[in-house]
Amino acid sequence: MTTFKRGLTATFMALALSATAFTAAPAFAAGKMTISTPQDPGSWDPIDTFLVQWSAVATNIFDGLTYRGPDLKIVPGLAESWEELDGGKRLRFHLRQNVKFHDGEPFNAAAVKYTFDRLLGEQGAKGPQRSNYTSIDSVEVIDDNTVDMKLKAPDPVLLTKLAGYGGMIVPPKYIQEKGEDNFNLNPVGTGPFKFVSYQPKVNIKLEANADYWGGAPKLSELEYRFIAEPSTAVAELQAGRVDLVIPPTIPIGMIPVIKGDPKLAVVSVPGPTVDALRFNTRDGITADPKVRKAIIMAVDRDTIVKSILAGEASPIVSFQSALSFGYDPNLKGLPFDPAGAKKLLAEAGVKPGTTLQIDIRGSDATMNEVAQVISSYLSMVGLTATIKPYETNVITNDIIPQGKTGAMFQQKWGGWTFDYDNTAYAMYHSGEKWNPYDKDEKMDKLLESQRPLTDRAQREKILQEVGAYASERALELPLYNSNAIFGISKRVKGFVAAPDNRLKLNEVSVD
Amino acid sequence: MAGFLIKRLLQAIFVVIAITLVVSFAIRLTGDPALMMFQGGGGSMTEEDLARIRAALGTDQPFLVQYWHFLTGMLTLDFGRSFTGGTSVSLLIGDAVPATLLLAFISMLVSIALSIPLGIKAATARGKVADQIIRILSLVGLSFPNFWLATMLVLLFGITLGWLPPSGMSGMASYVMPAVTMGIILTATNVRLVRTAMLETLQSQYIMVARAKGLSESKVLYKHALRNCAIPLITYFGLQFGGLLGGIVVIERVFNWPGLGTLAFDAVASRDYPVLQAVITVLSLMIVGINLLVDIAYGLVDPRIRTE
Repeated sequence: MTTFKRGLTATFMALALSATAFTAAPAFAAGKMTISTPQDPGSWDPIDTFLVQWSAVATNIFDGLTYRGPDLKIVPGLAESWEELDGGKRLRFHLRQNVKFHDGEPFNAAAVKYTFDRLLGEQGAKGPQRSNYTSIDSVEVIDDNTVDMKLKAPDPVLLTKLAGYGGMIVPPKYIQEKGEDNFNLNPVGTGPFKFVSYQPKVNIKLEANADYWGGAPKLSELEYRFIAEPSTAVAELQAGRVDLVIPPTIPIGMIPVIKGDPKLAVVSVPGPTVDALRFNTRDGITADPKVRKAIIMAVDRDTIVKSILAGEASPIVSFQSALSFGYDPNLKGLPFDPAGAKKLLAEAGVKPGTTLQIDIRGSDATMNEVAQVISSYLSMVGLTATIKPYETNVITNDIIPQGKTGAMFQQKWGGWTFDYDNTAYAMYHSGEKWNPYDKDEKMDKLLESQRPLTDRAQREKILQEVGAYASERALELPLYNSNAIFGISKRVKGFVAAPDNRLKLNEVSVD
Repeated sequence: MAGFLIKRLLQAIFVVIAITLVVSFAIRLTGDPALMMFQGGGGSMTEEDLARIRAALGTDQPFLVQYWHFLTGMLTLDFGRSFTGGTSVSLLIGDAVPATLLLAFISMLVSIALSIPLGIKAATARGKVADQIIRILSLVGLSFPNFWLATMLVLLFGITLGWLPPSGMSGMASYVMPAVTMGIILTATNVRLVRTAMLETLQSQYIMVARAKGLSESKVLYKHALRNCAIPLITYFGLQFGGLLGGIVVIERVFNWPGLGTLAFDAVASRDYPVLQAVITVLSLMIVGINLLVDIAYGLVDPRIRTE
């Protein structure tokens, strides 16, 4: 009996003690910044993933031949300069000298060749990144500091692609000696921060690389914690244990919580992500362009953006962000005009009370509200919409590719390259996975014609034409381009939000 | 005893095969992991790219072949590689199992430490104020959704007072909130169970005898009464532990706990078949194991069962 009682007392004591003895006030080492990111990419090898959460971390570990910062301009990275030869079919890069990888091995032409041989070879075949670099035929070492990239066909987006993901330069000796598996979990690059430790599903820690070619970073340590639940990430931010919460984490509804805290701030920038409700252009009432136009005219998108998205988005007229290459500021979409919509529906012979189904991502809280509002706008012109929520991967990777959607379906898209080709080709070219319904020869030709063009102006013109043609055919109800929302502690100085979430933090400091 | 163990082991194998077969089959019906990899950034993938990824992941094989690889791999404790990043699944599971078990165990301890004294108090003070208060509190506890309770605790102790870390697994302090949340939810049920079991036992004749012998009240309650109603309690706590492992998914998510729940959640979201299969296998093995332990515990508490 006494032992039982003692046991009890001990249990309570232990609980009470742990509650008081570990009340450690959030203590940061000098110059340490902690970041909350919603997903663990599982591997740090550049060839393994398309996840933006990989890039949010890896931009600090690796460098590409080119660099693209928050202003989205392509500037020199590990290559100090480059030139186009053979009519765009050969790119010559002059490499930065005296750069070393974190393990001490030198960065040189051989490392560049190794990187792309690996990406396009057997190892790269196991990952998704290779598909972005297939225009590269081979890489030739000219001398220690010069490499040539021979292309199968000119690739106007290649210089952008070399600034991130699969184009990140990796250390040949390190990978060959320690093996591929080791590299996944213990990355080594040339970037401003060196890898320290990685605990799957918990965190990855980095430390400053004092020898960084772009100057030593101001922070001494970086820690990224993987926190999926928005309220948990914001609680950590409020508790001062996290300095920055990166997107996509904070929902619009949580912005007031952060703004209400004097120690915190919200930073938001237009990101690459756009939302649209696409149409089934093959079957049902939406096969008729008049009906599609009527639906677009029935919905007041400006009001939706203002009231539901609290201004944290911009209305769009084509399926791309204003930052995207191929965006046309002069393109006018269809106006909000319920009377005109009714007339068009009558012309198309659609009877009042006709039903249609809108498929959305169930976990997208904002879209759930938006779809409700759209449904009531549609009811005003005599259409009865039902909303069908799906789990994200079911709708994106099963329902849409299989062509099993309702008359309208949500598509969320946004490539980090900010090039309209990335979206338009996947959405509109016939036979593409995410284009189950539409076949249009004119569209196919337009899309194909711009791919090999290295003349930027000419290519931009064609991409704008693609946007205008998609709008003319009313292929989707364009909705909005969402902002990337960051929650940040005011102790962080010098932070510039990157639209693509690829945050290089060498210029950032903390109080 | 040996026969009993062999029977249980065969049961366990059957349970694991049945559960993993259903789960592995069902998860494959929804969405292609290869296609998922290209979402967003890789609009330019071709059918050839998809085929290449499917071959690398092994999802191009017929379902039964994939399942057979999984079963044979399991025999050598090789759960394959995660589809997200290619990390060895054994490594992920190896980190997650202790995190979940420890949290579940501490939650159970919290619940037992709270519910036994409270339940006994309610039983002995039957109908009096103390009993009423305990019963009302238990009802309140039962009515809380666990994520709500968790959020409230985080607001109070994590943010306003700043005494405890709001999330993560980092040292003793980080166990307090998740374990207390789980513990309180469990206690709400357990208090009622202890109270009922005690009420029944206290009416037995041997309790009257014990009292008549002049034993102290605490000796009567803890040595005679509690021990005699321990069998149903152990059964229930044991089964509850199994349910607890399932319910821990929500708590792990709220507290960002790197356990099996987090692993399962992410694996479902990203269609990471090998990880999901492994988590389900480990969970079902644990639940079968706990049931076995409950049976063994009977024998320890009650000599009558031991001799049978």
